[in-house]
Amino acid sequence: MTSATLTAQRRYGFDFSRPVFVLLALLLCLLVIFPMFWLVYYSLRDTAGHFTLGNFIALVADPTMVRAFWITGLMALGVGLLSTVVATPMAWLVARTDLPGRRIVRVLVLASFVTPPFLGAIAWEILAAPNSGIINVVYRWMTGNEAALVNIYTFSGIIFAIACYTFPYVFTLVANALDRVPSDLEEASSILGAGWTTTLRKVTFPLVLPAMLAGALIALLQALTLFGTPAILALPAGFHVITTKIWSLFQFPPQPGLAAAAALPLLIVTVLLLRGQKWILGRKGYTVLGGKSGAPRITKLGAMKWPAFALVGFILSLTVIFPYAALIKAAFTQNIAEPLTFASLTLQHFQFVFFEYSAARLAMWNTMLLGLLSATAVTALVLVISYIVTRRSFKGAAILGFLATAPIAIPGVVLGVGLFLAYANPTFMLYGTLWILFIAFLTIEMPAGYQQMSSSMSGIHTDLEEASRIFGASRLKTLWLITTPLLKTSIIATWCFVFIGTIRELSATILLTTANTKLVSVVIYDLNESGNLGAISVLGLTLLAISFAVVFVAQRVPLMSGSRLQARG
Amino acid sequence: MAFLELIGLTKKFGDAAAVSKVDLAVEQGQFVCLLGPSGCGKTTTLRLIAGFLTPDGGEIRVGGRVLSRAGSSEPPERRNMSMIFQSYALWPHMTVFENVAYGLRLRRLPKTEIQSRTDTILAVTKLHMLRDRYPGELSGGQQQRVSLARALVVKPETLLLDEPLSNLDANLREEMRIEIRNLHDQFRYTTVYVTHDQTEAMTTADLVVVMNQGGIDQAGSPEDIYKRPASEFVARFIGGTNILRGIRMGNDAVKCANGLVLRCDSGDFAAAGETAVSVRHHDIELKAERPPGDTNVVSGTVARQIYLGSHRDYLVEIEGGEKIRAVAPVSVDMPTGKSVWLYLAPEHCRALAR
Repeated sequence: MTSATLTAQRRYGFDFSRPVFVLLALLLCLLVIFPMFWLVYYSLRDTAGHFTLGNFIALVADPTMVRAFWITGLMALGVGLLSTVVATPMAWLVARTDLPGRRIVRVLVLASFVTPPFLGAIAWEILAAPNSGIINVVYRWMTGNEAALVNIYTFSGIIFAIACYTFPYVFTLVANALDRVPSDLEEASSILGAGWTTTLRKVTFPLVLPAMLAGALIALLQALTLFGTPAILALPAGFHVITTKIWSLFQFPPQPGLAAAAALPLLIVTVLLLRGQKWILGRKGYTVLGGKSGAPRITKLGAMKWPAFALVGFILSLTVIFPYAALIKAAFTQNIAEPLTFASLTLQHFQFVFFEYSAARLAMWNTMLLGLLSATAVTALVLVISYIVTRRSFKGAAILGFLATAPIAIPGVVLGVGLFLAYANPTFMLYGTLWILFIAFLTIEMPAGYQQMSSSMSGIHTDLEEASRIFGASRLKTLWLITTPLLKTSIIATWCFVFIGTIRELSATILLTTANTKLVSVVIYDLNESGNLGAISVLGLTLLAISFAVVFVAQRVPLMSGSRLQARG
Repeated sequence: MAFLELIGLTKKFGDAAAVSKVDLAVEQGQFVCLLGPSGCGKTTTLRLIAGFLTPDGGEIRVGGRVLSRAGSSEPPERRNMSMIFQSYALWPHMTVFENVAYGLRLRRLPKTEIQSRTDTILAVTKLHMLRDRYPGELSGGQQQRVSLARALVVKPETLLLDEPLSNLDANLREEMRIEIRNLHDQFRYTTVYVTHDQTEAMTTADLVVVMNQGGIDQAGSPEDIYKRPASEFVARFIGGTNILRGIRMGNDAVKCANGLVLRCDSGDFAAAGETAVSVRHHDIELKAERPPGDTNVVSGTVARQIYLGSHRDYLVEIEGGEKIRAVAPVSVDMPTGKSVWLYLAPEHCRALAR
């Protein structure tokens, strides 16, 4: 009797969670493993389809390729170093001293975080191109000198332009670590007779060292895998980095095998660097345990207050204020180099972008469409995945978490190559459609979305869900009626994050886009080739305005008052 | 046939058995308390009954129907049970009314019925004034009552409570204890209540189940458990007691190492080895003179005396160095260091084989 009743009841109310699990696992495998499989496969085949190591041999034999690898490595090291050197003192000043305007500094650092790196590179073109760059024009006008003061189209110029947009990684990590170092650790050092510099050197600094190294590694990684900035600044300077080299292998005549072979080392280095970062951050004893032990101690700067303020102001001018000013000026004036007068103001770039240049309108539409779709799809996916993983509803649920985080180790360009190889064939014929871009964004944005969602999910007490189950709701119904409403804030945050990430993506997009599937980021890149900086500025500012508007609207939507969410349990 | 049956129920976490081979039969409408120290398996047992966990062995039956067995279990939503959680687990995004009506809405009842049943239960639990508040705006006691109302409104066959009072202060706890029992008497659902507080168990339950190390040590009425503990653990855990050990002597006595012979009117003697004898603190008489008789009498020195208003709490070091705790009326006043006689009457000595 017993087993019969049990099965009969199972049939009556079918539990969908297991099929959902299997489906998600398959989908993630498709997103993550499938393109990487083709990447490896193609790197080991010749044009006739036979096994070969020829692609790798060609890679090593090609001096321009080897040179690109060297340059990329040096550039990444330079960016990592520069970011750390700039960001660490700044983080200390903001987190631990009475520096004036600390909150504004944090906001401005966030702004450079939000700025798409390729836009920053273009802003620096406007500012520091050897002939037309505003800085050089002003310099010549002031000194009468004929030479250029600065030139962004150089190796050091590129390091600088990339570091402007990677130093926030180091800054955020170090500032957060400093916020978390409990003051009693430093007070213990003081009471034993150490002066504040000794305490800083012997206690505070070693405690935030892991965060600093981890930040430096991320900055380095960004530099290694970035396409936009090197493409904009290095190609005119006459050299290639690895990402631009891979891109050039896709130009006519395409050499996908070689591109795949060139992408693999980048993938491997990324995986290793991320492992290294995890190792640094995960070492026990180095992590400062969560703090009930008092607010961080604030150092009085005294006479050094204003020099320090000036230094921070200078750094922020270079990374945010000047570039934004340059973009705004370029958007509203005829010619970037001409002096800013009332007569020189014009709206013709706006007219051109919004009414005359049809490619821009199509790109806008595509970008918005993909942004909305990707953000919605990623949010829904990571919601379900992190639910399954954090609630450990099945044996092997953790594999979903692993798959969802795995793409973090796949650089955009590498993913672009993989997706091209996987889907631009007669079987799928997705190349030239928006679908292939959609798949790319889904994969690229999944890790960050998943990490954000799963951490908020584990903050929700399981009792709340179990209560719903015992009162008669199935697992999925509980997810819909209880978990989702409780996660509203993080769901919105994740959505915005993915949306903003999507509309600024260039590294993978550049390999997967065609004339009909151009996105704003690609149009900006194209316009840069033709030197139309005014139109670029208009498009770039529009992108930024949309990004900020999305964040703003999301925060203002009347959802529920905060006080109601502070219930116990 | 009992309504709720646990048969050989076993649950392992890794290699450790949290619950092992638990057998229990609960009649319909009975109020059962699972009582034990933390880690004894009582909460795991409750979660197995609720269906949040799947057993590794044994079965759970309700009304003769198998709900759980090794490797397969009916999901919680199809067990017609209710539960009150230690954290209350009120959904912070719903009002009191919405929280309470949740189970009824899921059962797709007509709107008017949802309305009237919810309002009724809110009135019973004195929450009708708070129906539009959010849980975050309520006090701990009010939250507790909402969680009670939410559990009762669905008219469950079985109500499960997981240490429901442990987050309340002492006064409120007593009030809620009585309220929970009254509501049970009114609605007569089968109740399984988990607690580590013996007073809670004694005052509410029909059947107290004392658990220890994943198994049931003893199940019985509160009086059974207190007066006739079956094991040393139960005797110590319920009410506190003195344990003296010795070898069985004759039919009804135990001889301790210090020569003390205790005649025991009740209990079981160990077939071999030591038998423990339990004597409650307040069942020991303190005397200045040696009482008559050869057995159940021992001399000692007062090691500590605490005046507690209604009584005095003594610690007496007896011959052989053991310390005995005794509670005496306020009138029995012996200073520290004084030699005294203890009389442990046979009717209060209980022999324990385990």
